[in-house]
Amino acid sequence: MAAVQGGMVDAKDETDIKKEPTSDGFGNNHANDARVLTASPGSSAAAGNNKPAAGAPEEQQTLLAVLQFLRKNKLSESAEILRREAGLPEEVLDPKGSDSTGSGQGGSTEVDGEDASSLLSRVTLPTPGGAKAPSKAGEDQPDVNVVLSAYSQQGDPALYEVYYSGLKKFIESVLDCHRAELSQVFYPLFVHMYLELVYNNHESEAKAFFEKFSGDQECYYEEDLRILSSLTKKEHMRGNETLLDFRTSKFVLRISRDSYQLLKRHLQERQNNQIWNIIQEHLYIDIFDGMLRSKSQIDAMSGSLAGEAKREANKAKVYYGLLKEPEIELPLDDEDEEADNEEGKPKKKKPKKDSTGSKSKKQDPNAPSQTRIPLPELKDSDKLDKIMYLKESTKRVRLGPDNLPSICFYTFLNAYQGLTAVDMTDDSSLIAGGFADSTVRVWSVTPKKLRKVKTAADLNLIDKESDDVLERIMDDKTASESKCLHGHSGPVYGISFSPDRNYVLSSSEDGTVRLWSLLTFTCLVGYKGHNYPVWDTQFSPYGYYFVSGGHDRVARLWATDHHQPLRIFAGHLADVTCTRFHPNANYVATGSSDRTIRLWDVLTGNCVRIFTGHKGPIHALAFSPNGKFLASGATDGRVLLWDIGHGLMVGELKGHTDTIYSLRFSRDGEILASGSMDNTVRLWDAMKAFDDLETDDFTAATGHIHLQDNSQELLLGTYMTKSTPVIHLHFTRRNLLLAAGAYNP
Amino acid sequence: MSAPKTIPKDAQVMMQILKDMGVTEYEPRVINQMLEFTYRYVTTIIEDAKIYATHAKKSNVDADDIKLAIQCRMDQSFTSPPPRDFLLEVARQKNQTPLPLIKPYTGPRLPPDRYCLTAPNYRLKSIQKKVSSSAGRITVPRISVGAVSSRPSTPTLGTPSVQSVSTKVGAPVSLTGQRFTVQIPSASQTATTKPTTPSTPAVSNVLINQSLIGSKNILITTNMVSQSTGGDSLKRKHEDDDDYDAL
Repeated sequence: MAAVQGGMVDAKDETDIKKEPTSDGFGNNHANDARVLTASPGSSAAAGNNKPAAGAPEEQQTLLAVLQFLRKNKLSESAEILRREAGLPEEVLDPKGSDSTGSGQGGSTEVDGEDASSLLSRVTLPTPGGAKAPSKAGEDQPDVNVVLSAYSQQGDPALYEVYYSGLKKFIESVLDCHRAELSQVFYPLFVHMYLELVYNNHESEAKAFFEKFSGDQECYYEEDLRILSSLTKKEHMRGNETLLDFRTSKFVLRISRDSYQLLKRHLQERQNNQIWNIIQEHLYIDIFDGMLRSKSQIDAMSGSLAGEAKREANKAKVYYGLLKEPEIELPLDDEDEEADNEEGKPKKKKPKKDSTGSKSKKQDPNAPSQTRIPLPELKDSDKLDKIMYLKESTKRVRLGPDNLPSICFYTFLNAYQGLTAVDMTDDSSLIAGGFADSTVRVWSVTPKKLRKVKTAADLNLIDKESDDVLERIMDDKTASESKCLHGHSGPVYGISFSPDRNYVLSSSEDGTVRLWSLLTFTCLVGYKGHNYPVWDTQFSPYGYYFVSGGHDRVARLWATDHHQPLRIFAGHLADVTCTRFHPNANYVATGSSDRTIRLWDVLTGNCVRIFTGHKGPIHALAFSPNGKFLASGATDGRVLLWDIGHGLMVGELKGHTDTIYSLRFSRDGEILASGSMDNTVRLWDAMKAFDDLETDDFTAATGHIHLQDNSQELLLGTYMTKSTPVIHLHFTRRNLLLAAGAYNP
Repeated sequence: MSAPKTIPKDAQVMMQILKDMGVTEYEPRVINQMLEFTYRYVTTIIEDAKIYATHAKKSNVDADDIKLAIQCRMDQSFTSPPPRDFLLEVARQKNQTPLPLIKPYTGPRLPPDRYCLTAPNYRLKSIQKKVSSSAGRITVPRISVGAVSSRPSTPTLGTPSVQSVSTKVGAPVSLTGQRFTVQIPSASQTATTKPTTPSTPAVSNVLINQSLIGSKNILITTNMVSQSTGGDSLKRKHEDDDDYDAL
């Protein structure tokens, strides 16, 4: 900034000398531009000379660019004077505006392109040299750069093909080791150039460009290319928020320093400034020092709509440890009445510790503090639940590669493809199904039927002091196996039970999330915030909070007693399709149609991790019980395993042939079960997958991953259903696997 | 009746469009649904465009009208989610406020009542008549049959026969959604001997909802207010018609 201003000041001294011969400056665009630049800091004479020249469109562009620059640097008086003298209209100019006015002017000639580059070089030359200087300068002065590059992109649309094929030829000619890395540039460059052509209304050139080069792209971008092929006019882009975001955000590439030097040298030596400008504007090149990446390594991490993740994005500290379980005293069957407290201390019953209780008193350094986020207190009923939980977990079966779980499948019959969401309570006593006809139906899986609470009149009559008051408040006349909840006005896409089994949440295409009571089986609250379909919702592991994600590309954190969200997690480029809480309730993972997974901090709302690598929208997420790892499944049929602490991909499980809709870790984290549209449930050895991880410093620093191709060894079993896609998986407290799906002949 | 062997042209076009967009598997009814949507959409746009053209006093509909029609319809029905920078700004503001503390022991944690759906969505329709001068009397009209007749302005003198009231009340009544009227043969009806009863009437016609607690029912029946003056004869006509319903 300072360097540029210095430049201007220097030029200003020249005005007095150069004032006389300015009158014939029309033909000489370059000289005129220089004069405009120098004239702006308040020299009215020169500005007056430029007035007749302002009529020409190129002059208008330059004037607007300069005006923008002045405003940005807060030289408001100078800006005013320039504006007045040049006779420019009042409206405020923004880069996009200048972009469109620029495009509206029609194609300008090569001369302007050269001017732009020369102006650009004048701007960047004074800045300190270095490998990253051009991109840095570009980032410091985005407005001027954008405006100026609006020039250069107008530089003949017909030449885009030439630029692209030139680059292609260059990249094909480099050494093998560099080629893989530099080929990453093709896809984002192709899409951005195509979108520029479409946005600036060069329809035929855009079509020709697309036909020529779309076949060269990687196979996993096929879906995107198909959508692009139907976009031929600017109006088509208007409603498509994802593409608009893509156009304005920077695609991140991770290239090693050597390859980057190669590329830069090539583009700068041959005066290929246009393509260099495009690269600077639309791509963010994250340079790392060290070994080059191989094609397979690159392929594993690429595929998302925004490129890969910058290294800084995955550097924040994440508290992935679990919260300490509160000490619950198990009621002993005997000697409740033992009274020996000689010292008058309160009676201490030794709590029966079992293996699942936390033995260590020390604070886990990776665990968040208990009060990091406010959590509801434990009620008596919660304590009873916990006791039940501990009792059940003593009877838990230890799973392993030689001891696979039994699988019990709940098939929804006669759903006619209307079953859109399933959830089960933690103790596996209730199943809820969300349907496309906007109903939610709750079933009791145990012989105990579902009962409603009695009406207020009857409640007055019961004996409130009796021991079994909780049984007496239930109205046996209303007992039934299932209850149907009506209220939504669109298909129900997400369902979640609360941990205390009092509430169930459902999210629907009508944009609302509804809270239903499981005591009265009526709807209590409708949370309106997303105005677009809500694809998923989940209660936090401790109740009270819940998260929802939808078509509006954000996930929201709510509390049951606030009618508005507490946190908004914005950052995805496309719909949020899957939302899951971390076991310690401090983080939320969201999977999206832009093929990335983001981890958000509930306390601050910041995105602390970005995981790229899937080649399709993500539909399933699962945290491991120890909180360290995340498993994700998408439409590409792969399950990817992520280390949250380091922010790296640690495993890839290939095997499914269709979209994976459900993932679940067993209760102790030894087995990962995945259910898919290909009508199978597969069991994977999670213990082994996480066992041999070499996360040395180099890996952590650069993010290079070395994935072993051991999917076959990790696969413990494939279980086929009879044409029933598996959309929900649940391990009971004793490690029996339950699965649910709708029969689809 | 032989089915047509060839598919109509626009259905073929729709199949081609689906193929171009990469949709390979679909149920056959999808084509019909897409065609219906297309027809409806195009018709709406063209009708809107015609309106705009007539508004601009043009004789023909031209491309500008269509463009305007499309734009207006887009803003109305096919809205798109807010742009990213707006969302980021809103998120930044929202995420600055700290998470609210949770008050312990507050029972079910729900938003304030106006944001909940727990309020009753019905209202009891109760018709209150003027109380007669003779207090403590419970009079109930007989269910009227036939035409409405004139009402004497004298108050009734019927003595309440409490037993019938109580028996009526005590009887296991299925109160599900029915009118509840109690009939007491007024012992001392003097003047009129018409079947349509005199005066009185304090019918408390209430539409009893299933969820009404039982005690309230009892309350209603004993709260019958008698008496009416000639002034609200009109009103009474209504009620008699309502009484009719109960039969």
